Parts: sequence; C-alpha cells; structure tokens
Amino acid sequence: MNETFQNLSVNPDELPSVKTADFNHIEKGYLKVSLISSGVFFLILLIGAFCLIFFNDDIEGTTMVYSITLGSIALLWLLNIIVTIKAFPKKQYAIRERDIIYTKGLLWWERTSIPFNRIQHAELKQGPVDRMFKLHSLKIFTAGGQSSDLVIPGLNEETASRLKEFVLGKTAMDGSDN
Amino acid sequence: MEVTIDQYTSPQRQSRVAIGIILIKFLRMTIRSFWPILLSFFIGGRNNDSFGTIIGYIALGFAAFNLIGSVLTYFRFYFHIEDGAFIIDKGILKRTKTNIPFERIQTINFKQNILHQIFGVVSLEIDTAGAKKSELTIDALKKEDAEALRSFILKEKAQIESPETSSESVDIEENEEVILHLSVPDLFKVGISQNHLKSMGILFAFVFSTLNEVTEDVPELIAEELSGYDQIMNTGWVMFLASVIIVGIISFMYSLTTTVLGNYDLKLSIKQGGLKLVKGLLNREEISVNKKKVQVVSWSDNPIRMMFKMFTLQIEQASSAEADQLKSKIKVPGSYQTQVDSVVKAVFPEEFYRPETKHRVSKLLKYRLFFFIGLIPTVIGGGISYYYIEWQALYFLIWGLFIWLSISAYYRKRTYEVNDEFLKNNRGTFGHIYELTQLYKVQSVQIKQSWYQRRKRIATMVLSNAAGSVKVPFISIEEAEALESFILYRVENDRREWM
Repeated sequence: MNETFQNLSVNPDELPSVKTADFNHIEKGYLKVSLISSGVFFLILLIGAFCLIFFNDDIEGTTMVYSITLGSIALLWLLNIIVTIKAFPKKQYAIRERDIIYTKGLLWWERTSIPFNRIQHAELKQGPVDRMFKLHSLKIFTAGGQSSDLVIPGLNEETASRLKEFVLGKTAMDGSDN
Repeated sequence: MEVTIDQYTSPQRQSRVAIGIILIKFLRMTIRSFWPILLSFFIGGRNNDSFGTIIGYIALGFAAFNLIGSVLTYFRFYFHIEDGAFIIDKGILKRTKTNIPFERIQTINFKQNILHQIFGVVSLEIDTAGAKKSELTIDALKKEDAEALRSFILKEKAQIESPETSSESVDIEENEEVILHLSVPDLFKVGISQNHLKSMGILFAFVFSTLNEVTEDVPELIAEELSGYDQIMNTGWVMFLASVIIVGIISFMYSLTTTVLGNYDLKLSIKQGGLKLVKGLLNREEISVNKKKVQVVSWSDNPIRMMFKMFTLQIEQASSAEADQLKSKIKVPGSYQTQVDSVVKAVFPEEFYRPETKHRVSKLLKYRLFFFIGLIPTVIGGGISYYYIEWQALYFLIWGLFIWLSISAYYRKRTYEVNDEFLKNNRGTFGHIYELTQLYKVQSVQIKQSWYQRRKRIATMVLSNAAGSVKVPFISIEEAEALESFILYRVENDRREWM
C-alpha cells in the first residue's frame, strides 16, 4: 500500500509499473555507429590541434607541447569510448499498450514515457553512419517545443518501420475513440 | 450583424486609416534600421561636407519610398471569407494569397496603438497552429467590424469542430464577467513592487547597445568621459553611493512607467470558453485565452508585493513554435488571492482546486545546492584571495552564510501537492511561486537520476506539456515511480481535449 499518496482515487501501486515493462535493447550495431561518429569528431580535433601547433610560428613545437595537447585530447577520446560502451546497455525501449518508453544514460540516467494519445507525429531518420550499418532512428514529436520530443536510435529497417506504423496507428486510434 | 458578415464574402480593403498606420509602421522600421546613419547626418551636417548631403538625399529618398510603399501596400491588401476559410491577398511585387481554414485559427487578438485609439480602429492578429510563421496581421479595421468578424469566425470554427453541439452553447459567449480590474492605486502598487533590478539590467543593456551603434570603442569612450572626473572620483564612496542612488531612481522610474503604460486599465474577464484580457495605455491590447489550451497557471510574489498581498498571475498556453512560447504567456500583475482563485476556477475544473497534503522534497537537495553554490565558491574564492588580502578573505564567509540562508528559505518552501486532477509546485526563495498544472495535459513523463541521485535512491521528475515543463526535484525513487505510473494512467484514460 502506498503511504505517500493516499488522496488519489487509484492506488499507484496497483497500476502497471513502468519499470517492469518489457524492455528491448537497441541493435548492437548502433554502438559502432556512436563510436565511429565520436571517433570522426575526435580525429578532426586531433588533426586540428596538430596543425595549429605545427603551422603556428608563435607556438614552439616541442615534444612537450605536442604530448600535452594531443595527449589530453586522446585521453578525452578514451574516456568517451569507455562511457559510450558502458552506457550502451542502458539504451532500451519498451512499448506498452498505451505508451512508449525509452531509457538512456550512464552518469545521467533518464527514462521518458510518452502516451500514444499525446503524439503528434513520428518519422524515421537515417544519418550517413547509420546508413553503413542499415540502422534507423525513430523520432517522436509532441506538441509544443522540442523539450518533450523523443528519439530512439539504432533500430533495424524492419523494426523501425514496424514501430513507426504501430505508433502512428495507435496515435490515430487513441486520439479518436471517445 | 448578418449584414456586416455578408460584406466580407467579397474582397475587402482595410479601413482608410490603415494608410497612415502602415506609413508610421514603415517609418519606424526604417528609422530603426538606419538611425545611426540619420544620426551621423545630423551630427555631420554641421561640417557641411558633400558626404552628409548625399546621405541626406538618401534619407529623403527613403521617406518618399516609405510613403509610396505604404499607399501601395494599402491598395494591394484584400481580405475576405470564403468557404469556411479566411483569405488574405496582398503584396506589391510578390503577390501572396494566404488561405487559412477556420479550424486552424487558434486565437484572434486585437491591438491598438495610440493612432488606432484616436481613429477608433484596431489591428487584428490571427494566430494559427502549426506553421512556423504562425501569424497574420490586418493593420486597421473599424472596431465594430473587427468584433463582428471575430465572433463570426469563432462561431463558424466552433461549428466545424463540434457539429453536434447545438448553437445555443455558442451563442451565450457575449456574457462576460469582469474578475479583475486594475485600479489606479493598485497600478501604482504593482509599479512600485516591480523587480527593479531587472529594469536596471534592461537599461544597462540599452545604453551599451546604443553606445555600440554610435561608436566602435565603448570602453575607450567611457574611460575618456570619466577621466575628467578624476578629482571627484577620488572621493570614492560618495561618488559610488551617489551613482547607486541615481541608477536606482532611474530604474525605479523606468519600471514604474513601463508598468503603468503597459497595464493601464487592465481588465481580465471570464467569457464562454476562456478568458479575455484588455490592457495598456498607448498600446492597447486585447488577448483571448482559450480555456482548453491553458497548460499551466502560476502566480508569484516578491518581498515588496507580499506586503500588498498581490501576485503576478501567469497563464501559459499551448503553442506550436518554440519562439511563440514567450508570447503565449499572459501576465497579469497585481492580482489578489481571490482573483487568482477565480481565474483558476474559470480555466480548470474547480472541484479539484483545493489544498492537499504538501509533500516535501529530499533534504539532500538543500545540502547539494549549498555544496555547489555556497561551499565551493566560498572555499575557492577565499582560498585564492587569501594569498592577496590575507585574513580579509574571511569576508567570503558572508557569501557562504548568505547562500545558506537563501537555500534554507528555498528548501522550506519547496513542496508539491498532487490530486487526481492537478500537480501543484510550491517554491520560491525570497518570494513565493506557485505552479498549477493539469495532469491529463502532460505529454511526456521523465524520471532523471544523476549518478549521485542513484546512490541516494532519489530522482527528479519532469512533466512536459504543450507550453513547457514542470519539475519536481529530489524525491525518493519510489515516490517518483508512483507518480509516473499514476500520471501516465491519468493521461491515457482521459478523453478531454488537451490543447
């Protein structure tokens, strides 16, 4: 029995808990996508830093200078790789009868639930790296600003389009049956 | 009334006064973008060089261009009603024809600047949902015509959206009950209790941006101006105090004037389906609020306003674009508690508006906030300055103490209440802020945990709706999960319109 909220007409403990929903992991390939995308970013950063020291006459290109700047960038890269790998299993989604749920984050974990009857629109997106691994992202839009929009990345072709159709179908249904 | 509506079925021009109003609008726009040139012309005019004269001719050319432009704009602007849609046909070089179906029209608001008021016309703003550029303006219409047009459109819109409702429910919309009329003494109370620090900031920003337009080197200019006052500057404290008092008085006058001008004769009334707000002296505005679009009602005070027992009431409506969110907030300064209550009861189901058990948030929030805003700056600031000013660095402890007291005050007020219909946030540091939101209008429920929060088994909950979001920080994870399931249940089982 929930002691905190006794004034509510329904005891929250008797409602289906979001925590125990049937969560699915996203495709393993998406880990590679994230690693490649951040890899490209850090590589550009490394090259940029190198060029800056190499071609700038004011900075003396000693081994010391190179190792400090390039080393710290490489360290950040390593940290990023570790966090990305560790955080990957936290990326999970679940579909319940009337809402869609997505969780993510290692250091800052979050779980977002959006009821189907509040969804305005859903679309599939595919970035250049996604395309190499044949992965899609499902983008879910609600009314108002972007604060409550949701993106579920790393879905394969079939799951993605099935999910989108499902969500749109549910949205149309839950919105109208009154 | 039928006659006035019939006339809108064929393309119409605006009221003739529109020429003048468009001209003024054009001139203001030109002056706003070219005023540094105009200014330099007036200053440089004394030197009588040919460059100045050329600029003079250019300015004259612009004026003529504006005049012709506004006349043409007037004659090339038509609007009419056709097949349940509002149609605007306009443009001189690039002609555009805009067709807005009634069901996409969200609200129709009136605005009057001083010219409108003299000639008894209004400018009509039509807000539509969806599109980025979600607004259409008709510069001048006779007030009676505008009113007839608006009630016609809104009536048609209601018919289209819910054909089964009989017309009687639509017809009684003329009944209006004024719940708040800001009297002159109240207006001054509001002006006095404004946030004067904010207006000080606005003034500083204005002065600096103006200086920036005129000269490139603001710091140099200031240094130059001040160098003459070396003698006086040496008297240190006197000078400092005097300038503080002067800046204080100017900011005070500024916020008092803007409040009085902006909220003069403010009237908030309840009408069928929502609220209506009319306010302003030089620029008179009329804003309609649709009841079902209201997402959050909040009211807040500050230490001075607390003495007058007044609140600033804010009504947040659903809005399509991010940029519109500021505009869709309606502020009514100077509402008393009873008026706040009647507004809440007008837009929300009143049977659920009642005090509930106040749930506190975790004490860890207090310690956490103090750690980051109080302790760390005190230790770092004190530590560094110890090297320079030695024991005087202990002054930093005042900062720590001040933050501790503010955070304690904040924590004491930080509670939330929940029932089947509402979630109410109570917070505030020096004053009070109350936020009331309807649960079924929530469109996403988020539970967040930082690494620290996870260790302590607490979480932060964010509820987003079509106007923004409401946050409940640092509650136990069990509480957060109970709220999560309950709110989702409420949203998913409610069939009312939510925006």
